[in-house]
Formats: sequence, C-alpha cells, structure tokens
Amino acid sequence: METTRFNKITSLWIITVLVLFVVAITLGIIMRLNQSELITVSPITFYTDMTVHGLTMIGIWFVAGMAAVNFIMERYVKTSHGVNVFAYVMTVVGVLLLWASTFFGRFHAGWTFLYPLPFKVMWKSWATPTFYFSLAVLGVGWLVWCLSLVSSLLKKYSLKEVFAWQHFSKNPKTETPPFVLIAMISLVGIITCLLAAVILLVLTFAEYYSKGSFVNDALLMKNLTYFFGHTIANEMLYLGLAILYELFSEISGRPKWKTTWYVALAWNFTLIFILTAFFHHLYMDFVQPEGFQIIGQIASYSASLPAAGVTVFSVIVAVYRTKINWSLANLLFFLGVTGWVIGGIGAVIDATISNNFILHNTLWVPAHFHTYNALGNVLFSLAFFQWFSAKYGGGSQRWSKVVLWLLLIGGIGFLTAFYIGGADSIPRRYSSYPEVFATAKTLAAFGALFATVYLSGVLVFFVNISKRCLKILLQRS
Amino acid sequence: MQYSILMLFFVLAALLVGIFLYVFLSSRQSNGQLTGMANALQKRFWFVLILFSILAIFASVTIPKSPYFLFSGEQPSKVVYVAARQFYYVMSYQAIDPASPTGESSIELNTNELVEFRVTSLDVNHGFAIYSPHNELIAQTQAMPGYVNRLRWKFSEPGLYTVYCLEYCGMAHQAMKTTITVK
Repeated sequence: METTRFNKITSLWIITVLVLFVVAITLGIIMRLNQSELITVSPITFYTDMTVHGLTMIGIWFVAGMAAVNFIMERYVKTSHGVNVFAYVMTVVGVLLLWASTFFGRFHAGWTFLYPLPFKVMWKSWATPTFYFSLAVLGVGWLVWCLSLVSSLLKKYSLKEVFAWQHFSKNPKTETPPFVLIAMISLVGIITCLLAAVILLVLTFAEYYSKGSFVNDALLMKNLTYFFGHTIANEMLYLGLAILYELFSEISGRPKWKTTWYVALAWNFTLIFILTAFFHHLYMDFVQPEGFQIIGQIASYSASLPAAGVTVFSVIVAVYRTKINWSLANLLFFLGVTGWVIGGIGAVIDATISNNFILHNTLWVPAHFHTYNALGNVLFSLAFFQWFSAKYGGGSQRWSKVVLWLLLIGGIGFLTAFYIGGADSIPRRYSSYPEVFATAKTLAAFGALFATVYLSGVLVFFVNISKRCLKILLQRS
Repeated sequence: MQYSILMLFFVLAALLVGIFLYVFLSSRQSNGQLTGMANALQKRFWFVLILFSILAIFASVTIPKSPYFLFSGEQPSKVVYVAARQFYYVMSYQAIDPASPTGESSIELNTNELVEFRVTSLDVNHGFAIYSPHNELIAQTQAMPGYVNRLRWKFSEPGLYTVYCLEYCGMAHQAMKTTITVK
C-alpha cells in the first residue's frame, strides 16, 4: 500500500518533469533558431523564453533529483508521503504562476533576476510581484520537502552517523550507507541556499512595498542571488550522484558500494566547497573583496578533488575489466559521469579568474553548464526514470540504442557550437548578434539542429517511460 | 588566447572520452571476469594527491594574473569615467554627475599608456567588455549600481575597440555598445 503510493507520486513527478523538459528544450531551440535568423521573434519574446527556459530547467532537474532521492530514501527510513505530494502541488502552482508572469505578463529579467533589473518594469506591472510570488511558492514547497527528509534521516541516524563521522575512527561499529551520507550533505546544502533565497525574497519584497523608502545594496543582492542560484544548480547534480551511488552497482549486478573514511571525508569537504564556490560568479565585480575572489577559485578547484577522486575514479574502477550487466539505465549513468567530468573541466577553466576575464558571459558559460547538465545530471535522472519505470511498470525497453545515440550526437553537436562560440568571444544572452560576430549565426543554426536531434532522443525516451509511468499511476492500490 | 583555452579543453575532453571508452570496452570484453574492486569506494590517496598538485600549480600560476592585480604598482596616466544605463554608455575624462550624466562624444586613448576605467551603473547591472579591432574579448568588468569597478588596461595595438554589454540588462541588451579609439 505504502510502496504503491510512493510509486504513484514518483511516476507523477517523472511524467511532469519529462513534459516540462520537452517544453524547455523547445524554448531553447527557438532561441538558437532566432539567433541564427532562421526564424524571427521579438527581443521581448526571446528574453521571456530565456527566463522560462532557465528557471524551468533548474526547477525540473532539482525536483527530479529530489523525487528520486525521496524514493530511494524509503529503503532506509520512512519519509512523508504527504510532504512529497505537497511539494508536487507547490511545484505545479509555482510553475503556473511563473508561466503567467512570463508568457502573459512578459516578465523577462532572466532566470537569475539580478537585482535591480526586476524593478525596472518593462512588462506588465503585476508580473514582477507574480514572478517573485511564484519563486516563494516553489521555495516553500522545496524547503518543507528538504526539512522533512532531513528530519526522517535524523529519526534513524544520529548527527554523527548521518554525516558518517564514525568512519573516521578505526573500526566503526555502524556503517552509514553512501546514499544516506550524500543525500544528507546535499539536503543541508539545499536548505542553506534556500534560506539565502528567503533572505533575498524578504529584502526584495521590502523594497518593492516600501515605495522607494528602502533600497537594497546591489552587491549584497548579487552575492545572495548566486549563493542561491549557483548552489541549487550544483546540488541537483549531487542529488543525482546519491542515486548513482545507490543504483549503479545494483543495476550492474555488482556488490553494493560501502562508505569508508575516505568517502566520508570527501563528501564532508564537498559541502564546504559547494557553499563557497559561488564567489566565482562575481569575479568581474572588482569591488568584491579580493579574498572572496581567491576563495572562489580555490573552492571551485577543490570541489573537483572529491568529485574526481572518489566518484569518477570509483565508477572507472568498478567498471574496468569487470563483467557488467549493461542496460540503458547503467549506460546512462556511465555516460552521465563522462559528461559531468568533461563539463567540470570547462567549469574549472572558467573558474580560473584570469580566464574568466576573457570568457565571462560569453557562450563558454552556457557551454560548460549545459555539458554537465544535458550530458551529465540529466542522464543520471533519466537513468533513474528508466530503472524505476522498468522495475515497477514492466515491459521491455525499445529503441535503447537509438535513444543513446540521439542524445549523444545531439548533445555533443549543440555543445560544440557553444564552446566554439565562447572561443570566438560571442556574448551569451543576446537575442540577435551584431554582424561583426561572423560565426555567430552559423553556430546558432548548428546548435539548433543538434539540439533538435537531442530533443528527438528525449521524445523517444519520453514515450517509452510515460507509458510505463501511466501504467503505475493507474494501478489499483 | 581563447583558442588556446579551447584547444586545451578539447585535448582534455578527448583524453577523458578515450579513458571512459577504454574502460567500457574492457568491461564488454571481460568474459565473465570480476577483476574490478568489490567495493569501488576504496581509498586512492595517490590519485587525489596528483590531482591536488596539478590544481595547486594551476592556481599558483593563474591567481597572480587576476585582473585585480594588473598594473597595480603603476600610476594610471589617464582615467576614463564610465556610467552605464539602459541601453547606452556615458564616458568622460571627468567624473560624471549621476543627476545629469554627460560625456565625451568620443574617447581617444594612446597605445601603451596605462588607462584606468572607473565603471559604474546608473540603473541596473551592466557589463563593460572591451573587444579588440579583431573582435576578440580582451578585458572586462561589471557596471554595478552604487559601486565603482576600476579596470586598468594598456592597449598595445591602435584601432577601433568596441565595448559591449555582457550582463543581461533588458530587452535591448544586445544593442548596448560604444567605441574607443586607440592611436
């Protein structure tokens, strides 16, 4: 009974995420087509699409990770089904409000809504409060969800155990499963960044309703914005890794991975690095204290140590010369790790202050974060969707190879166009390009073409998975 | 410079693809062997140490080249004040009054003279990105309301430089630009 309820809500999350993913990719393709001048939309439509595209992508892959973590967590502790449903309702309401403010209200301040741009109203006046209200709805739903999961973990594990600190002693009496450790580390990071978002929203509403008597500090607001935005975008990836640690060995028919002191140390450090790496978004704000800038570079570099030293290396070691039951799910995990580490190299390059000086806000930025999302984190979540729907919805997977090749060819093609664009100094977030950027239009057309190939892979996957998830949803309890 | 970075990235990406492909093929050809570690999460301190050393070398070489330290021991021979607003720049050799911002019709600078750009914004966040006559991004800073970012630069080549806004600032962001002449 309990399992069926969790299967149903997880199926609902999967279908919703995939529908919104198709919408968000389509918006992305429209943007690239407009930049290539193969189609023409107004700059306002372009920037509205851009705002929806960014926020939707961050939102859906965050909730996809959360839904998967919630599902797997049921193996270890009892979680609240009611809170899971509450988070779903709040997410749907939040997305509808967001779409109302953007598609109808024409709000187009970008997904980072960098203060004070949302106050310079170039859209319907109701769109600004509606946009912020949509964020508040999403934030409350997600914060309650995270707090509920943390409280579930703490009912079973002590604080020392949940962070796996007992593994620092020679012979630990209890073992903290890697999934529990990583989920906890990620949830704490998410709660911290959501609290920063609460402060950001309170300050924003204070200024909005003060009618000019209270004005915020732009540098503080930018720090808060990226503390929230960077961290949540990073954490959704770590949620995906928690799933990988749990399922990769299981799907591959190999022994379950176990926590060691080394793993515990790496993940505890990861939390510190994640919470301080956001400074790299402010490198070009020279008034920011130099110490913070250098911390930004060191934290961004350091974040790759536990990631590469533990996760990536472990996956390589686990697979090397070992018979694995390869299926679509663990192939997606394996490819996702490859895409994640390659995107990570692009990120480390950009997180180097002297490189950022000539790459910041060029197409290099979407290049690297699309790499570790479209060919990294998304594949982790798709792997979970595949595993979950096959296990509980039955039926054989069709077109597996086709899906993989379409995602790979499409992904590599549209990302290459971004990287070359970054090297050509082409600005990001331009609805159209000045003529002097000779390669910009061609690269945009190339990007749109390959993004369409990627989309067709997602559509094939979507049809297969949705059928099974619908079957689970319609099963009698 | 950007193309050297791109090449470095492509080489490292190709190397990683090669490693992952090799590992994947080794699994496919394993014929039932189970030589992978039973628990893949075992310590491998040497790997982290090598990675740490490489990153530490990179950091120690690149951090001193950060723009905050550029020409920090020298006195600028010219100061250019920049006030950005939706969707244009005001530039002047004198400080700009935010109440009635006025600037020069054109900014002319000399090669190899140290210039300090004092960049602020009168409304939202903007970018101040200098592109060479060959349309290559060579230097940038942000224009933030309430703050002044100081960017020091020496132009080595004469020509017409274009300044683009690289921080999204609204519906005409893509059209926000100005020029600087270097003699």
